[in-house]
Amino acid sequence: MTESLIGFGAVLVLVLLRMPIAFAMGLVGMVGFMLETSFRGSISMVARLMIDASQDYGLSVVPLFILMGLFVNKGGISRELYQVSNAFLGHFRGGLAMATIVACGGFAAISGSSLATAATMSKVAMPEMRKYGYADSLSTASIAAGGTLGILIPPSVILVIYGLLTETSIGKLFIAGIIPGFLGIVFYLIAVKYSVTRNPEAGPAGPRSTREQRIQALLGVWAVLLLFFLVIGGLYGILNFWPINLAFSPTEAAGMGAAGAFLIALFRGSLSFKDTFEVLRETSITTASLFSVLIGAWIFSNFVNVAGLPEALRGAVTAYDVPPWVVMALIIAIYIVLGCIFESLSMLLLTVPIFFPLVAGEGGLGFDPIWFGIIVVVVTEISLITPPVGLNVFVLKGVVGDVSTGTVFKGVTPFWVMDILRLALLLAIPALALYLPSHMSG
Amino acid sequence: MTQLANLFRMAAQLPIFMSCVALFFLMVMTFCDVILRSTINAPIEAATELTRMSMAILVFSVMPVMSFQGGHINVDLLDGLFDRFHLNRWRDVVISLLCGGMLYWPASRVIVLAERARSYGDTTEYLNWPVFYVSWFIAILTFLTMGALILRGLVLIFAPQMLEPAK
Repeated sequence: MTESLIGFGAVLVLVLLRMPIAFAMGLVGMVGFMLETSFRGSISMVARLMIDASQDYGLSVVPLFILMGLFVNKGGISRELYQVSNAFLGHFRGGLAMATIVACGGFAAISGSSLATAATMSKVAMPEMRKYGYADSLSTASIAAGGTLGILIPPSVILVIYGLLTETSIGKLFIAGIIPGFLGIVFYLIAVKYSVTRNPEAGPAGPRSTREQRIQALLGVWAVLLLFFLVIGGLYGILNFWPINLAFSPTEAAGMGAAGAFLIALFRGSLSFKDTFEVLRETSITTASLFSVLIGAWIFSNFVNVAGLPEALRGAVTAYDVPPWVVMALIIAIYIVLGCIFESLSMLLLTVPIFFPLVAGEGGLGFDPIWFGIIVVVVTEISLITPPVGLNVFVLKGVVGDVSTGTVFKGVTPFWVMDILRLALLLAIPALALYLPSHMSG
Repeated sequence: MTQLANLFRMAAQLPIFMSCVALFFLMVMTFCDVILRSTINAPIEAATELTRMSMAILVFSVMPVMSFQGGHINVDLLDGLFDRFHLNRWRDVVISLLCGGMLYWPASRVIVLAERARSYGDTTEYLNWPVFYVSWFIAILTFLTMGALILRGLVLIFAPQMLEPAK
């Protein structure tokens, strides 16, 4: 156990010295594994992982979902999603902030990344909210919080990685994210309502849209709604129109989604050859950086396993008779603290191999692996907007520029409280995550 | 010197282009596989192994360029502190050289594993393509990534302006 803890400390120091996270985990894992076994054993393990991880069929879902999100974004859909939410909600007090939350939820349904959701929506929603005199604290907070929905509402890159790490069904994880994600949207809307009730000046009501404007706005997003239905319907196995049965594995769903998004953008005339190349290039670079983190984390997790940390943790919990809820509370606290340093994927990769055997593995505390996955993602979401270094807040500051992080954190507090409430609800009622997957075929 | 830099930039586009082609191929093939299977029950049998190979090309092709440009995910929490002591550049030099250097052993080992697969005559299931091709590809690109990181370290020492974003 001591070796593993030293390893964790070393990774932390290297990461803070700005060594790329992939290399920090890889280097410490390689040296640690070497000290536990042999030089040759360690190098062979790393080489084997490089060959296997980059050719893992299950992981092909990652670039395809990233590609789908980028193609849809290129099609100009983020603006249209915002317009449609605005048409229905804009006339309420705080309505533009509410529209931002709903549009973030919609964008999350086609993008797998929280940071991308926050960055994209800030370009669309921020100017509009400023135009109507919204307080910076409310407008930036609604984007930062809404952005966190990206990693829970399917498709989610984080859930794919969790599924592959723990051998849990990715399709079921995606479906399990739907109710908690929807709950997130509702809770954030309540947070907006609370903010404007306390300070009505923060979010004045906009003009009410006419019926024609609403229909017009809806027509702009029908193709993407259809794409989302195709991807999730295919995963859920409900697209059975004899003689055609569209039932997908996650990789196939991602391929269909990416191709569908490509065709939508092409038919809208918003995709030139140069744009296509740019989207493919951006996806390739994102994929390569994610895979390097993934390989680094696997190397580190092999070291931690060989050093016996999961068994030691399990042994300690049994020996001291720690109640399961205390273990869960400790894990959640660790995630929130780590979220101050690591971005979501690295945090997940670093911790899941250690906590999963204890919580949901064989001989562990007996929690459901799908439920634990959703809890991990929700806690990661919370860490993205937790002071002092919630990453979404910094992404937002980078895009908007002239807003202090203090202002964003001040505005984000009601959203953070609602997140904690949602987490408590998910901890108390696991069925919120588990009901839909339990009715899924396969 | 400028011509050399231009040549280097042009050469760097080739692996990126390869990666883009692999990704586009992956998307089209998965789409066709699902459509063919769902409509006329004729899936592409080699789809799985083609997916695996495309993934290896996609992931490793962009690695050298991405590494040279400093595109890996990292944490900049202490940048302010390093900046105060004017140590940012020298910290990046050490990190780049260390990251590049540590890739030597895994890359060499991948070659050993590739040669072992060649001696066993390992081939893919449907297309019967020798598997050592992909391993060799991974090894070469890892060596190139190593070179790119070391070059980045040297550029940071001798010509740091080359890595500054164009204004």
